Amino acid sequence: MTVFALIIINKAGGLIYNRTFHEGGLNKISTNDYLVLAGTFHGVHAITTRLNPVKNAGGDRTSTSPSVPGAANIVNRPEPSSGLEVLESENFRLQCFNTMTGTKFLLFTDTTQANVDVTIRRVYEMYADYVMKNPFYQLEMPVRCDMFDRKLLSYIREINNR
Amino acid sequence: MVIYSFYIFDRHTECIYSKSWLPPSVSEAPSNPNPPDHPRADRRSKAARAGDDAKLIFGTVFSLRNMVRKLGGDDDAFISYRTGQYKLHYYETVSNLRFVMLTDTAAPSMRNVLHQIYINLWVEYVVKNPLSPVEHKGGEGVKNELFELGLDQFIRGLM
Repeated sequence: MTVFALIIINKAGGLIYNRTFHEGGLNKISTNDYLVLAGTFHGVHAITTRLNPVKNAGGDRTSTSPSVPGAANIVNRPEPSSGLEVLESENFRLQCFNTMTGTKFLLFTDTTQANVDVTIRRVYEMYADYVMKNPFYQLEMPVRCDMFDRKLLSYIREINNR
Repeated sequence: MVIYSFYIFDRHTECIYSKSWLPPSVSEAPSNPNPPDHPRADRRSKAARAGDDAKLIFGTVFSLRNMVRKLGGDDDAFISYRTGQYKLHYYETVSNLRFVMLTDTAAPSMRNVLHQIYINLWVEYVVKNPLSPVEHKGGEGVKNELFELGLDQFIRGLM
């Protein structure tokens, strides 16, 4: 069970964080390639949302709250289709977590890793605690927060040594 | 398990075969109580929309395959991805023929199924057909009765 790397992509498709935890899991690629990868993934993610073959009918009107005026005109919107969540290849597994604001967390693990969604949510919590609450952090800019680095590293090391 | 659709792309990135098993009521636009606001959108034929889907699918698998190769090494192969609504399976032969299948999210790995389609249907009915052209421009030679029948039976057997 190994976590290889973490990538965070902002809502515009820019790479804002990139860290490798385990050498030899993934090929070493340059920072420039990581930037390209982040942008490509951002685009592909948007396309995978569009490709949904089951476009469920969204025209059914509901009467959930008839007391509210005008509620009769509110159509029950179907759950918006999500983009790519898990990608599997022969050598690794990629889990993507898309936050409400469009920030994407990409976690690369080996193919047998379990409970990656729990791990990725914990990473998101850390991001909220140590990056978003850092008064010196500028939104949508590369993450350079020592606390985040330290906490993330110790958390992932714990998983990798299990 | 539900299989939604199946695509074959040749080495020139062209979609040479596509088939959908969705009932028309599901794949069509949702029942709209109002008449369509854009008659121009309605005028576009179903085939054109299916062609657009095929192009999007090819672009996606092409990008993801390259990404996987870059990260996992040249011997790595992209197998599948899953979203909240569907799962896409991918299989590429040595000759850069690409097989893509869309299923529901609960489906197990369909790699061997795609491999079986290649061996038992593609090679048997398309490659071994003496009248079939080498390149399948516009799906020429792929849409033969035996291949289509065999594929439909095979897929319906899985569902």
